[in-house]
Amino acid sequence: MDRTLTQFIRALRNADIRISTAETLDALSVVELVGYEDRGALKRALALALPKTADEKVAFDHCFEQFFTFDDVRGARQPEPSPSAEGDESDEQDGEGAGGNSAGAGGERDSQGGPADKGGKKKKQKNKAPIEGLDDAVEEDLGPGPMSTPASALGELLMQNSRVELTMAMAAAGEAVDLQEIQVFTQKGLYTRRIMDGMGLAELNREISDLRESRQVPDRRLGQELKQRREWLREQVRDYVERQFLLHADATGHRLREELLRRVKLSNIEQRNFRLIQEVVFKMAKKLASLHSRRKKVFKRGALNVPRTLRHNMAYDGAIFDLHWKSIKIDRPKVFAICDVSGSVANYARFMLMFLYSLEEVMPKVRSFAFSSDLAEVTDLFERNKIEDAIAKTLRDYAGGSTDYGQALQDFRKQCLDDIDNRTTIIILGDARNNFGDPRTDIMKELYDRCKRLIWLNPESRSGWFTGDSEMRKYIAYSHQAEECNSLVHLERIVGNLLRTVQ
Amino acid sequence: MADLNADTTALTASVGSIKAGLESHRYICSDQIATAVFLAFHLRKPILIEGPPGVGKTELAKTAATLFDLPLIRLQCYEGLDEAKAIYEWKYGKQLLYTQVLKETLDEVLEGAKGFRESVQRLHEFGDIFFSEEFLEPRPLLKALKSETGCILLLDEIDKSDHEFESLLLEMLSDFQVSIPEIGTIKAVREPPLVFLTSNNTREISDALKRRCLHLYIPFPDAELEQRIIHARVPEIPPELERQLVQFIQSLRDMDLKKVPAISETIDWARTLVLLHAESLDPKMVRETLNVILKFQEDIEAVGSELTSLLHKLKG
Repeated sequence: MDRTLTQFIRALRNADIRISTAETLDALSVVELVGYEDRGALKRALALALPKTADEKVAFDHCFEQFFTFDDVRGARQPEPSPSAEGDESDEQDGEGAGGNSAGAGGERDSQGGPADKGGKKKKQKNKAPIEGLDDAVEEDLGPGPMSTPASALGELLMQNSRVELTMAMAAAGEAVDLQEIQVFTQKGLYTRRIMDGMGLAELNREISDLRESRQVPDRRLGQELKQRREWLREQVRDYVERQFLLHADATGHRLREELLRRVKLSNIEQRNFRLIQEVVFKMAKKLASLHSRRKKVFKRGALNVPRTLRHNMAYDGAIFDLHWKSIKIDRPKVFAICDVSGSVANYARFMLMFLYSLEEVMPKVRSFAFSSDLAEVTDLFERNKIEDAIAKTLRDYAGGSTDYGQALQDFRKQCLDDIDNRTTIIILGDARNNFGDPRTDIMKELYDRCKRLIWLNPESRSGWFTGDSEMRKYIAYSHQAEECNSLVHLERIVGNLLRTVQ
Repeated sequence: MADLNADTTALTASVGSIKAGLESHRYICSDQIATAVFLAFHLRKPILIEGPPGVGKTELAKTAATLFDLPLIRLQCYEGLDEAKAIYEWKYGKQLLYTQVLKETLDEVLEGAKGFRESVQRLHEFGDIFFSEEFLEPRPLLKALKSETGCILLLDEIDKSDHEFESLLLEMLSDFQVSIPEIGTIKAVREPPLVFLTSNNTREISDALKRRCLHLYIPFPDAELEQRIIHARVPEIPPELERQLVQFIQSLRDMDLKKVPAISETIDWARTLVLLHAESLDPKMVRETLNVILKFQEDIEAVGSELTSLLHKLKG
């Protein structure tokens, strides 16, 4: 399996692009055909095989730019200046090594091209003016000369000037500390440290301090050199972590937040998260819509389907006997949503309405009512305005006043008892706290008898239902179903069930 | 693909050669589009083309057909399209007629048969004939599979069809075969067809279908590409007019219109202006011909009121 590609796909999935295994295989054969040589061609080709909507294409572009940041993948790369101050003679071998290897396997290694170059260039400047002692004023000038060989593994690696092996070690260390799991940006320093440790920083530090105290000039020279290279390495690792963070964590963090929002109590959601939660609601609604939009039932009405009829009647000697009809009827549920929008429950009503109206595709016949004391139909508001505006208007116009369930039920009865038939589902959202008023259970019974289902959603937790002025005990008797509903997960489950049973 | 002729092999050697080939047939396209055709050809995968109406989705399939010199089989999708219209249908009239004829000759067939068992045996011998390929009326999808030379299959406006039809397509698109219960599975005779699906995105295409296709999104072209398209399609247009016209259309696309003009409208407009012997865009003529590019009265009014400033920008 091509590792670069699978890692790229992982990054894409993180960016919310859905990619199946079959598509991964497609991408592999695409890469086989196009190759890694031409970056533009690769991008165009992968853009055909992996992202499948316009939105995904935008995300794909972004990801591709971030992931494949090397200037040229194979061969054509110029020999780079080595990170060493004096290692010019090893340049060529270094460049070749990096170029030849990078196309093969490691995505991390490829993506290192950019920052590695940067590091290299910085060092080159230093190379021009070594005597100025840019990084350390107290550094003694030992002049060029022989150096002793480093003892620690990492020191050896650093002195070998082989960037390929260094990046490989870096990637290995990154994997060992589960760098892919990085989630928030504050973890960047931590991971940088862990990777350095994993690569053997402690040993290197010890060696450097030993060397610098040594009496021999070649040892001290090596100590200086190693110290410089250690700084260079740190920079590399930091870049590496940064890049991995952008690829993996940005999206993961987003997903984490979404996951959290789904579970958190709706009344606790802060204003600034409303936009995000709306996205979540739409996502959930879309999932439900696509799950349920296909239920259709064949209906015996409409035009005769002549070919089918004849074909099916062949068996009866051509006598038209078993009739087949053309029309297919989509049976859609009729939903009445009654929302308590008084202070305590308003926030829940907001999300419930948002959810119901996001499902327009599968539930076109939602009629909604809002009340705190008097009840009014708000269906029109939702038809004319955008969902957010409609919700805001509803809350503004109807939220005042103390809750009176009896009055609300009476109003509802007066307005639309006639419209309720055995295909109707009534959803009532409220905490059933009636301020010790008349609960009017007689109307509840009437509704219960007439409709297909009556669902009561109560944002309070079940244990609080039967306390204080809550009339839940009475209302529960006249509901087909009573549920605790105070997070998006609840809401999704209930609406999902609703779609399943109603259709 | 061993029996491809040399022409096609040369043509499909690289993205560039396909792009040049398409351009020689007056279809000017971006690298992205050429790459799509290239991949579709080599990987034998269907392409799902999405984009606003009038950017040349259907045209791409047509041009590809002339380019590869293959017959184009087109299936226009609409609500209620089912297998009987898309894949196959039994020739029920013929079947009925034959039953009638057979009824009279039944005695002859059964003559000399000893016992019930043998009679049934004889009937069985030609019983299946009624559901053989003789009585099968192939519809576009089946025709595409049975094509001897290979072909281009265009499923136009797939978003207009029902979900059921999409599912029906899955077998065809992934394995290039269809199953007919009475006969069995019919596979592509020679070359699997090159399939183009187009969609205007009036509804979301299912993931299962998308997964089986390459996905190409054709956006509105940028000014340079559009200018080349106009040049290829309406070669007689004066260069100054061509430049102004494309600029004007591009600026319209930035406006908040009900339906922005697409390439097909730009081409129509270019033809109209050439017919009217225009040398450059003058306000009067533009106002009179706005209905070629704009299809809603409110759009025409919106643009009409800003016409002077729009045209002024072109001069500068």
